[in-house]
Amino acid sequence: MMTGSAISVSNVSKRFRLGETHDSLRDLLASWGARLFRRPDAVAQTTVDTSRSLQALHDVTFDVPRGDALGIIGPNGAGKSTMLKMLSGILRPDEGRIMVHGRLAALIEVGAGFHGDLTGRENIFLNGAILGMSRAEIRRKLDEIAAFAGLERFLDTPVKRYSSGMYARLGFSIAAHVDPDILLVDEVLSVGDAVFRLRCLERMRELLRGGTTLVFVTHDLDQMQSVCERALLLEGGRTAFLGPSRDAVSWYLQAMTRAFVDRPPDLLDGKHRYSGTVDILHVRFQEPSGREVRCARANQPLQVEVRYCLHRDIPRLVIELNMRAVVHQNLLSVNSGRDGLTIRGVKGDRRVALSLPSLAVAGGPYVWNVRMWDADSGRAEIDTPFQYPLVVDDEGCKTGVLCLPHQWLFDERPTMVDERSILQGAADPAAGRNGDRGTIAVAAGDEGHGDWDPVGPDYALSATRPRRPEHCSD
Amino acid sequence: MSALREIWAYRELLWSLAWRDVRIRYKQSLLGVAWAILLPLSMMLVFTFVFTRAIDARSALNVNMPYPLYAYLGLVPWTFFAVCLSNCVNCLVANRNLVTKVYFPREVLPLAGVIAGFVDFLVALGVLVVLTVYFHLTGGWSFTWSLSIVFLPVVILVQVTMTIGIGMMLAMANLFYRDVRQVFSVAIQLWMFISAVVVPVPRDGSVVAQMIATNPMVPIIGAYRDVIAHGRWPESGPFLSAAAFAVLVLIGGWTLFRRASFRFAECI
Repeated sequence: MMTGSAISVSNVSKRFRLGETHDSLRDLLASWGARLFRRPDAVAQTTVDTSRSLQALHDVTFDVPRGDALGIIGPNGAGKSTMLKMLSGILRPDEGRIMVHGRLAALIEVGAGFHGDLTGRENIFLNGAILGMSRAEIRRKLDEIAAFAGLERFLDTPVKRYSSGMYARLGFSIAAHVDPDILLVDEVLSVGDAVFRLRCLERMRELLRGGTTLVFVTHDLDQMQSVCERALLLEGGRTAFLGPSRDAVSWYLQAMTRAFVDRPPDLLDGKHRYSGTVDILHVRFQEPSGREVRCARANQPLQVEVRYCLHRDIPRLVIELNMRAVVHQNLLSVNSGRDGLTIRGVKGDRRVALSLPSLAVAGGPYVWNVRMWDADSGRAEIDTPFQYPLVVDDEGCKTGVLCLPHQWLFDERPTMVDERSILQGAADPAAGRNGDRGTIAVAAGDEGHGDWDPVGPDYALSATRPRRPEHCSD
Repeated sequence: MSALREIWAYRELLWSLAWRDVRIRYKQSLLGVAWAILLPLSMMLVFTFVFTRAIDARSALNVNMPYPLYAYLGLVPWTFFAVCLSNCVNCLVANRNLVTKVYFPREVLPLAGVIAGFVDFLVALGVLVVLTVYFHLTGGWSFTWSLSIVFLPVVILVQVTMTIGIGMMLAMANLFYRDVRQVFSVAIQLWMFISAVVVPVPRDGSVVAQMIATNPMVPIIGAYRDVIAHGRWPESGPFLSAAAFAVLVLIGGWTLFRRASFRFAECI
């Protein structure tokens, strides 16, 4: 196999017209005339009206070496799908050049081209052909495709009778068996259950091992990192970062956090209830000293103070605080009622605070809400939207959901290296030195870790080294 | 040339899409592919009833063969023509999902529509043999066997060439302006009555007759009757100009289609 680039994109820009395609018959005739007598690219230039167009991509350049996997991440509207459509040839860039070497299959929508009246088997042949497989190839892989999708029993049922999950599984399964030189995948793994998703990821890794080049657009940063070594971060159609996927993710999270601190999103979740009895005056996040913070440190104590105004007495008031990660799900829900506590709610300006000994979550933006009930009537007095933002700065738990205090136990003295040299796999001569860099506390098996003691000299490393905060400026 | 090479590379997709079009037309239908025969046959019966029973137009229908046969010989190629074009008008818009989500040479869609129509055409052409034998045995009209039948593939080729050219233009135009489909459904009706499909075209030298004489479908439909039923070669002048027109339409239609095709996904 040749080495070199499978995909090379240089200075690509793409603009979309907003509104209707042609405003008047005059426009139409003019552009038809232009199309007849000039080269097509010249037409694209002449028909653009900058005031009514959207710059979807602006001067994007990157290269995907053969056999590599590139992730494309970024917020909605960043131009990810547009990029993928241009790579596959569906759209043509206004400026710049795209070179693709090899047979390319794009999975931009699962089951694009499925026809409801055709059976599963017939659709496998049709969709396989759409993705560039020959009939002989499909016939050979038919059983495998059906088994991967788990639909052996339904092959002769028209797909209009399939559930949406079955439909999506069949679609992905076909695409997963294409065996292209280059595979483009756009946010399609969000379908199917967890097991199916894992199988899809495994299949992508298998293709990668077989030498396939992969370009993967997704919002699931963990998924992207688990498949791609490199990532392109797009923001507003421009390249914000291009490099190791781990760094791209942390760039992305930082950018998201910055945007979040500047302007917390208004995350109404539709369940906002309000009886008029309670007003939330503020929700403050404090260090134990009482100093207010907008950005808390992971694994440090945190106090959440809710000041509220009660307009009538509620003898047994229950309060619940919820914390939700912007990129994940509800992470924390503490409820005084479940803890067996009610507030003797006396009319007036009141305060309640929640104290957490350690905020054991990974860094990133979070939002909180407050709920209060009257325990006697069961009536919800207030249920705010998730509108109270809190940014957490973690200490190295770049991914995952939790950031727990932890310790490593080794049976020989570990080698201490610079973090970045491991992450990037770079050959850093300074790394690997049996280091006393002085920042990691090494405790020779002194705390009695069960059966680790008799094995020999044990070392326990606590991840307690102080780090420079990334997001927190206060 | 590169366009042809690309289409060849995507031939599997072309067959699959054509096969899909044929397949879904007769899905969930009791008579299935028999409709390919029943449609022109029933049209033949309708026109025979209208022109020879409901209104007596027999004097105007001086057609040198039993009228049902005349009508069927016109309706089979015409239905092929009209079905292909109506497949083409809708092919891009109806497959919006494919056009916006998958790359393939867009010509595949109108071509698949024409191939799907061709399958029906072949079936209906088979019935023609039965019909000819029937009228030969019963109708006081005798079929003249002649070598001219070998010219039939050429006639079909000319028609297919023109159909693809017009079909591509229609498909492209309808993608940008949906009005095309509406205009098409009216225009194709008018076109049928000036193409000697069920009634001969006037040859009285009037302005209308001269305009109708420029209609390339007249010599094409006429050529079917000549080579199949009359056992003679088609009149060379009109047929050659129809053939030349077909080639020009194909080249022009294909070129326009290809030039516009990179904008299909964003304009659909």
